[in-house]
Amino acid sequence: MVWRRGRLILSEESRQETTSERTARGRTHGAFRCLNCFERIVPPEKAESYKCPKCGFEWRVSWPSPTIPRIRGPVWETNRRLTDEIMAKEKGQGK
Amino acid sequence: MALNRKIAYIDLSSGKVETKPISMEMRKKYLGGRGLDAYLLYNNTKAGVDPLGPDNVCLVSAGILVGTLASATARTHIAGKSPLTGYFGSTNMGGFFAPEMRWAGFDHLVIRGKAEKPVYLWIHNGEIEIRDAKDIWGKGVRDTQSIIREEMGDREIKVMTIGIAGENLVRYANVMTEIKNSGGRTGMGALLGSKNLKAIAVRGTLDIKIEHPVEALEYNKQIISQITSAKVSQEQGRLGTLFIWGATNSQGLVRTRNFQLNQMEDSDGIEPETFEDSAFGMTGCFGCQVHCRAKYIIPDGDYKGTYDEGPEYTSIGAFAAEPGCTDLTTILTGNHLVNDYGMDTLEIGSMIAWAMELYEKGILTDKDTDGLDLSFGNEKAVIEMIHRIAHREGLGDILAEGPLRAAEKIGKDSIRYQVHVKGMSNLHSDERPTPALALGIATASRGSDHLRSRPAIDLYHLPEAVLRQIYSQPVAYEGPLTSDYTDYEGKSWQVFWQEMCYMAVDCLGICKYHTIFLGPNFPNFEEWSKLLYYNTGLELTPLEIWTIAERTNDLERMFNLREGLARSDDWLVDAYFDEPTKLGIPLIRDRVIDRDKFKQMIDEFYAFHGWDEQGKLKPETLKRLGLDKEPSHLL
Ligand SMILES: [Zn+2]
Repeated sequence: MVWRRGRLILSEESRQETTSERTARGRTHGAFRCLNCFERIVPPEKAESYKCPKCGFEWRVSWPSPTIPRIRGPVWETNRRLTDEIMAKEKGQGK
Repeated sequence: MALNRKIAYIDLSSGKVETKPISMEMRKKYLGGRGLDAYLLYNNTKAGVDPLGPDNVCLVSAGILVGTLASATARTHIAGKSPLTGYFGSTNMGGFFAPEMRWAGFDHLVIRGKAEKPVYLWIHNGEIEIRDAKDIWGKGVRDTQSIIREEMGDREIKVMTIGIAGENLVRYANVMTEIKNSGGRTGMGALLGSKNLKAIAVRGTLDIKIEHPVEALEYNKQIISQITSAKVSQEQGRLGTLFIWGATNSQGLVRTRNFQLNQMEDSDGIEPETFEDSAFGMTGCFGCQVHCRAKYIIPDGDYKGTYDEGPEYTSIGAFAAEPGCTDLTTILTGNHLVNDYGMDTLEIGSMIAWAMELYEKGILTDKDTDGLDLSFGNEKAVIEMIHRIAHREGLGDILAEGPLRAAEKIGKDSIRYQVHVKGMSNLHSDERPTPALALGIATASRGSDHLRSRPAIDLYHLPEAVLRQIYSQPVAYEGPLTSDYTDYEGKSWQVFWQEMCYMAVDCLGICKYHTIFLGPNFPNFEEWSKLLYYNTGLELTPLEIWTIAERTNDLERMFNLREGLARSDDWLVDAYFDEPTKLGIPLIRDRVIDRDKFKQMIDEFYAFHGWDEQGKLKPETLKRLGLDKEPSHLL
């Protein structure tokens, strides 16, 4: 943002987009990031749980508004099993 | 105008009150709120002052934008040397007190001395009176406010007060206002208690003249839309700060059973969505459109039918995750009790969970607890310990002393199980997988602290390009930045940047939830520059606001150094480095903080500040920020 003293009111630069306005353009509605692989995923409307198509981790979903799904918590059994498998595999590979 | 509010010096020992204007020069160097308080604390105390003695000062202030047309400008700041840590004591609360104090003509109060008997202050349109507090001493937070309002016959009076915990000098007692607006951390409630100062009541009808009202209104409309359209605000407006639980506990970033686990498994019963059933709508602070505070009735137990507000995200940690409890009623009751006793949720949850681990390990026995079963998961014991700490009964008297003093009194190996920095406990977050968050708590001026420099958005896995936009202004930054929250690269800059961001809003008096704390697209330095100009006429560029934040952060550092702080205090307890996480998603399992990399982060953080290897300000930094003549006694 260009800022010159005494010129803030009604000046062109005062109307220039700020950083936060610019980053806000990347907002998405209807989606959240999988908390395991961070892929942005779109659960079907009103879904109560959703399995990440990329990594298979499964999340219980709630809807603060009709266009905003959020992760309420894990589907514990699924995610524990997958984690155990991944950890065992990593151990096998000496990681 | 918004800048003509005064500073009042109140000596409770002599009863003398003196008021002074605040010069434009001081405004341009420190703005107001926490910024000017840093100056006042450094200038009005001597090294080694007893935090609970008459020579410590209690500072109360409003941010420079409080009560104007800028959104969410509700914040009251309270400062003094901390009775908990012995370092910079500081707290910041919402509600309606600070705007009222400005309408009553004051921006800053400097309270020193000690009243002979309990008193409260009555501040009204430029006048300050010291009044007898015999009718309110011994009362809870709620009753105190009601009694004052009733006695004065004015329901619009705003009150900040201490509860029983502050009177009993619990070292993490809060200052409170309204039902649940809490000035927590660092024991500012004990500071008021030590001065026999029960409360401050204010009522003001002096207008604040807005410098450019049309533009201020127009611009604030933009800000409101920017904030309310964000997903995070909508989640918060529905669930309050509890909403954070979904992400943190799902991944395994929650300190559980003191610090033994990093996730509360199968905890569906205490999820925010479950709590929604007990709540009936949301409310908010002055000038806020988000309304993140739930109104609720306790559904069950000894306090069934009692109204309260909250609970916050931290309450789930304090009364569920840390002590290993799973009953929603415990959270709602615990939250109610600490609100009315006026105690810090985070500290009390940590202290009780620590005692539970000591009990599990046999370091504390039934003899120490007067027969109370302090096993993890004992919901009743959590509630009982809240009462005992507030009243300083039995083990409660020891736990009321805070982490370090309590560990010294209990002895044995008890210190090993403490999770603290600089003698202040952290909230229930587990930072072992997140170096950026770990650096924040290790270096924050008031001890283990998630509100002074935490780059919480680091958990969002934001694309690097977005991070670069945020973290490259108003000061250019071309170093590394990464979306991976387990990484060490570039994180010290993020912590440094957030430290400036949070200091700036604490000087302005804006709520952190309207900044880049939880929402990456929220206003920051560019917006604040405009808000400041339209509302007050003060012309400061984004970079100038940043520099003020640097100056005030460094002055807090200077206060701490004067009190004996060393580099070794900017550090974490051994468990962070030695005990790997056990639960959570694969990315978070088996994580510890790497000592060498962490040392390097601290070096970088010091370098960004212009501090030497020991964390002391270099002469050129003192000069650049105009701090080389402090204490200067200009106010
Ligand atoms: Zn996934």
